[in-house]
Amino acid sequence: MNNKGYLQISFGWLFAIIVGAFILFIAIYATTRFIGTEEQTLSAKTGKEIGILLNPLETSFETVKTTFFTMPVETRIYNKCNNYGDFGKQIIQVSQKSFGKWAETNINVGFANKYIFSEKEIEGKKFYIFSKPFEFPFKVADLIYMIPSTEKYCFVRPPTYIEDEIDELDHENLLLEEDCSEEDIKVCFNFGDCNISVWENAGYVEKNGDKVYFEGDALMYAGIFADSDIYECQLKRLMKRLNNLALLYRDKAIFISRTGCYSNLNLLALSNSAEGLSSSSDLSSINYIVEDIKEQNDLANCKLW
Amino acid sequence: MKKRQKSKILSRSSLMSQTKGQLKIQQMAFMLMAVTLFFVLVGMFILVFRFSKLKESATLIEERNALLLVTKLANSPEFSCGESFGSSRLNCVDADKVMKLKDNIKKYSEFWGVAGIQIRKIYPDNGNIKCTARTYENCGIIDIFSKNVNSLPPVSNFVSLCRKDSYKDEVYDKCELAILMVSSEDKE
Repeated sequence: MNNKGYLQISFGWLFAIIVGAFILFIAIYATTRFIGTEEQTLSAKTGKEIGILLNPLETSFETVKTTFFTMPVETRIYNKCNNYGDFGKQIIQVSQKSFGKWAETNINVGFANKYIFSEKEIEGKKFYIFSKPFEFPFKVADLIYMIPSTEKYCFVRPPTYIEDEIDELDHENLLLEEDCSEEDIKVCFNFGDCNISVWENAGYVEKNGDKVYFEGDALMYAGIFADSDIYECQLKRLMKRLNNLALLYRDKAIFISRTGCYSNLNLLALSNSAEGLSSSSDLSSINYIVEDIKEQNDLANCKLW
Repeated sequence: MKKRQKSKILSRSSLMSQTKGQLKIQQMAFMLMAVTLFFVLVGMFILVFRFSKLKESATLIEERNALLLVTKLANSPEFSCGESFGSSRLNCVDADKVMKLKDNIKKYSEFWGVAGIQIRKIYPDNGNIKCTARTYENCGIIDIFSKNVNSLPPVSNFVSLCRKDSYKDEVYDKCELAILMVSSEDKE
């Protein structure tokens, strides 16, 4: 008789408990999903906003432009790149800390007209950015370099023009030898045994055991600040834009010839070689054509750019 | 007799309590259904509200993109004059280049992430004549591209629109005053 007592729950109670538990489960599940969706939305929004904030970095006469942005919480920015289609895409993925945990997100925000050079994953609250125009031989794009405030780069024995530029930038994160500390990332010019070595005459940057080749200052900085695969991918994207711009200038040359303004530049060769670039080591071969075209355009009565 | 009456009363009362119990369960089931339905409706309302907010913020972001882009677009390589009209000029658009860009616009339609780009000459005012290869010299509007979407009123920036022209076999640079207009997509 006694054994029966503690099992005596009426059907009504049992029904209420089961349905109540089900409702609670649904409510908790929906709330979790809702928070997850909110985090994803925030990541997408932040990614898009970062990309849009980079618009004012388009240079005109300036050789370099610098700014910074601060996030309200600790943020991880994943720099991704794909080179499909006519221009490829700069992809930004953002993950922010909420309740002490990194929000999981797989939302990619893409921009066809941006070229960000940084490590694949950068983290912090404050990020420094500066941009430099990449001219090859005409302006192709503005390259954007992004550095978290926690990383400091120490330039050891740079050539005078780089030293002057670093001085002029007056960036908290870009230091010259005399202001460096032990923890800073050492960028050495024309000698090894550093975190990053820039070999100016050979035209390459050595970082984490990888070599990336450059032509001009803008790409040299890109090699310093970016991971090698980001650099190679962005370079291919730049060459795609160069290819399209070369064709645009060729069309323009034909169009303005009606006014008696003639220019006979080998833009088709430039377009073809840019399209055929497979890695940064091919840059030097394109550079011959670039130098030749630049010289011809500078001497022409009717400049195309 | 008494025993039979007693058992009859007992069986009737158990029947009544059974019916009462069933009624209670039914009441509870209806109540639970009503509560569930209420929460579902509230949830749906929140979702619709959030979704409309999301669309609103997407439109705002697009608008901001257009606003920031318009001030810098004239200096981008596809538009800028560079040094082709003498020295470098700020906010100078190369009309010859833009006309050729317009011919190959398919490639560029997603490039700037906006709904449309247009250049309108304001001095000299050539009215609403659209620029084509035939009307190029005396036209008023270069419609670079406009997507077939709902778009917000355009944001604009003053630019000088320069091109190569000739007079009696002599080539000269002709610059006119224009506005560069960028419209963003209305996502709402």
